[in-house]
Amino acid sequence: MKKKCLALLATAVMALTLAACGGNGNEPATDAEVNGGAMTEAGGDTFTIGFSNRSADTPFFANMTFIIEDYAAEKGIEVVAINANNDVEKQNRDIQDLLQRGIDVLIINPVNEEGPSAGIRAANDAGVPIITIDMNVASGADVWVGRDNYNMGYLVGNRLIELLGGIDATGTVLEIQGAAGSTTMMARRDGFNAAMESVPGLTIVQSAFSDFDRSRAIPATQDLIQAHGVDVVAIFAHNDDMALGAAQVVREQNIENVLVTGIDGLMEAVLAIQIGDYQVTASNDPVLLSHMAVDAAIALMNGEDVPDFIDAGTVIIDLYNVDDYADPDLDFATMVGN
Amino acid sequence: MKPSMNMILKKYNLLILLLVFIVIASILSPNFLTVSNFFNLLQQASIPGIVALGMTLVIIIGGIDLSVGSVLAFSGMVASMIVLHFDGSYGGIIIGIIAALLVSFVMGLMTGILTSYFKLPDFIASLAMMEIARGAALLTTNGNPVFGLGERFNFIGGGFIGGRLAVSAIFWILLTVLVALILKYTVFGRSLYAIGGNKEAATLSGIKTRINYVATYIITALLAGFAGILTASWMSTGQPTAGTGAELDAIAASVIGGASLSGGIGSAFGTFGGVLLLQILTNIMNLVGLPSFYQRIAKGLIIIFALLLNKYVSKSKAK
Repeated sequence: MKKKCLALLATAVMALTLAACGGNGNEPATDAEVNGGAMTEAGGDTFTIGFSNRSADTPFFANMTFIIEDYAAEKGIEVVAINANNDVEKQNRDIQDLLQRGIDVLIINPVNEEGPSAGIRAANDAGVPIITIDMNVASGADVWVGRDNYNMGYLVGNRLIELLGGIDATGTVLEIQGAAGSTTMMARRDGFNAAMESVPGLTIVQSAFSDFDRSRAIPATQDLIQAHGVDVVAIFAHNDDMALGAAQVVREQNIENVLVTGIDGLMEAVLAIQIGDYQVTASNDPVLLSHMAVDAAIALMNGEDVPDFIDAGTVIIDLYNVDDYADPDLDFATMVGN
Repeated sequence: MKPSMNMILKKYNLLILLLVFIVIASILSPNFLTVSNFFNLLQQASIPGIVALGMTLVIIIGGIDLSVGSVLAFSGMVASMIVLHFDGSYGGIIIGIIAALLVSFVMGLMTGILTSYFKLPDFIASLAMMEIARGAALLTTNGNPVFGLGERFNFIGGGFIGGRLAVSAIFWILLTVLVALILKYTVFGRSLYAIGGNKEAATLSGIKTRINYVATYIITALLAGFAGILTASWMSTGQPTAGTGAELDAIAASVIGGASLSGGIGSAFGTFGGVLLLQILTNIMNLVGLPSFYQRIAKGLIIIFALLLNKYVSKSKAK
């Protein structure tokens, strides 16, 4: 009897865990990571930024915390950073905790658009200005510092068409998809497909959702190449991590003349462009993005007018300009100083 | 005596299910029954297969190990960081593999001790270890992947023999045979079934349940850790998020392969078949281009179907 109960419990929790796995944030809840680097810069009034980061389990998000802390420290501003481990409820509580600590301005990288509404309302009520970074929230933010993912997909698509020989190109293009329901995924997909529409000879085949994860992208690519074989002329993945997996499949199977493209400017992809294993990526530099968010916070605190949306911009990286961005010491290609 | 239809069904139910799947898959897509897709499948199934093999042992003894996916990631990170440190030299690869297996050993030892000597529920102890190992994996590099591991390291997880047969698939097959032999012919193997079947009776008959428990969790962690080394090698990258959800696939494969979550029942070859079945499912849905959301629904339905069939067959076995 006892065993049966245990087995039943096991199944129940399994189902729960399955449901919770969508956000792949399973690491333990590490709380408030405090940086007290408040070296006041000559003249300026110092203030405190609260940063609620969505997770630390991808390089892009993990780096954001350090970049914001370092850049703010240079400006003599204190940062209190908390990471929500992809948990919307935790993010709401995190924001409450930050407000309790008496922050002056809130930077938030939301788990999703609707999720942190309770925290946003609390900040609004407390009169603390809100800057969203990377992704925006449905309402309540003063400034959104982000990127146009649609444009990134569109630019990579256009560059790929040029490499395939322009408007008369023919063949099958595999599209390795990110995470289901992700707004980033949808914007990149729509932008890419908008570019591809201008070339009637190219057929797009979309993969199963591979969660922006290389280990899921590799089998998906293997199966699609199995199904579409010789017709495949190019692969576009919704991020570089997955595209690198696709490039690996192409290399392992000794398939020639398949162009591989992605988005993010992950350094591993940039270095692969240098040796010809990879063709195009679009920069999604977390350094510039984070700097712009801190600058927006400073501007808000100084009472300056700040637009609702600040585009951190992008740049296409391919064989022609790759040497400007290749730096094995970095995790991402950076547009700062370029 | 003429073997009845029922007897054949009893003995080879999983094999029959696999054959039915292969026939359906072949009809649905001309690309399925090809030599290259066969080797493709073996390679795709090999790493989940090794993880599931360990899970089967824990399930047989009457436990469950949720930490395998995290141990896989942590082990892979340890191996990758050491391989990178030694510039992918053979010496560095050997040190990396040994260190990764040592780390996995310690993880398994801890879960085993917690469940046997401290009598924590398997579910909770391994859940805690899942969190600890994942946190440790992320901590090694602050969540960044480790890349540039070199061609030599790539061979064990991503290499092919004769241009086709994946090295990782060879490991999977050898380990499955090894575990099957251990389960059938060693005192340790038989003790697992005895403990899983009836712990009190096993203890009374003189089986040292606690030592067996600890040993089982260590073997499971070592297999997960080895799968982590293969994963890092296969992708030429150490990924701290690798193996997320791997424990669930491993449990599903074990149970489809005939293992019972109440313990005492399960087999290495059954799990081999279960892993293959799940992989064929994904493969065929990708080949025919079934949209992603339908894939998940279909996968769930087919897991239910396979389990119901198992249940029906094992019930008639008991008669």
